[in-house]
Amino acid sequence: MLQNKLLFNQSSVSLEINGLPDYSNNENQDNISIISQWKLMIIDKPVIEGNLDHLRSIMKAFYSYSITILNDENASYNSQLIDIKPENCYTHILLLKSSKPNVKPLNIRIGNSVFADIINCFDQLGFSNKVKNIYSKEFKSLTNQKHSFLKYKKNISEFLLPPVVSLFSIFLFSTAFIYIYDNNENRSLLNYRNKLVSIQSINKLL
Amino acid sequence: MRNSFNNNNIKLSEFNALIKLTAEMAKFLYPYIRQILQSRDDFIRNPKPWNEFKNRYIELISERFNTNSMKVKRLLDPSCNDEVFIKIILTLALCISEDGFLNLSSTLLNY
Repeated sequence: MLQNKLLFNQSSVSLEINGLPDYSNNENQDNISIISQWKLMIIDKPVIEGNLDHLRSIMKAFYSYSITILNDENASYNSQLIDIKPENCYTHILLLKSSKPNVKPLNIRIGNSVFADIINCFDQLGFSNKVKNIYSKEFKSLTNQKHSFLKYKKNISEFLLPPVVSLFSIFLFSTAFIYIYDNNENRSLLNYRNKLVSIQSINKLL
Repeated sequence: MRNSFNNNNIKLSEFNALIKLTAEMAKFLYPYIRQILQSRDDFIRNPKPWNEFKNRYIELISERFNTNSMKVKRLLDPSCNDEVFIKIILTLALCISEDGFLNLSSTLLNY
């Protein structure tokens, strides 16, 4: 059976995905749902290849590392398969550990331009309609964290808190003034009534 | 930081619109953005694009920002502004995907 092959290119990086469509779901013949092999080809660097689990862990490593770089956190990622750490602000060191025994780890140094190309290749793969079953649950939670942070920031800090505080303070001040005003008014009414009674009594006396 | 007397706060919808516009522009300008990044990676052999970008950026900052502010002075200081400029250009390079504007806005809100 012939396998389908898809290529995602971005300048100096090319990602090749080989696999088969899931015929039990009546999928299109051009789609890939069962990934058998993938290859990440970077110009002037050795080819990186593996199975679906390797692809997921490498994608997760690159995305996590890119988020830590952008958020000014301590940028380094360590896992069983791949380590990424910065050498300086424009060079990154990848340490790829093979799952096969007696194979030495592969050390690759890439610049920011190649790093951006790799991330963009993975983005193309993630948004492609032809390839399915790429995102693992862990990776989904990683992207959701960013979105939930955005919602939290919008809803609570920007919309809810300031109006609630202002309404509460207005309510406090206004109730205090109403109470004082009522007391004064009652007193003035009583005084007025007393005056009237006294005038009436004077009239009677006269 | 801006060299302006208007103190108008930007609305959330305007902020989101600007972010989307920036992300869309980054998609079209990606070859140039990549060229600048590559020039910084390989500065000894190809320093021209990086130097041109940096000079123009510094020119724009000194035109439109309050140069008396300490933050702006630090941005203009050639000994420590490379890291900030690399981060700015890398952020643009990483936001060219379909939901790239979300990455860009979360990065800016986190700043």
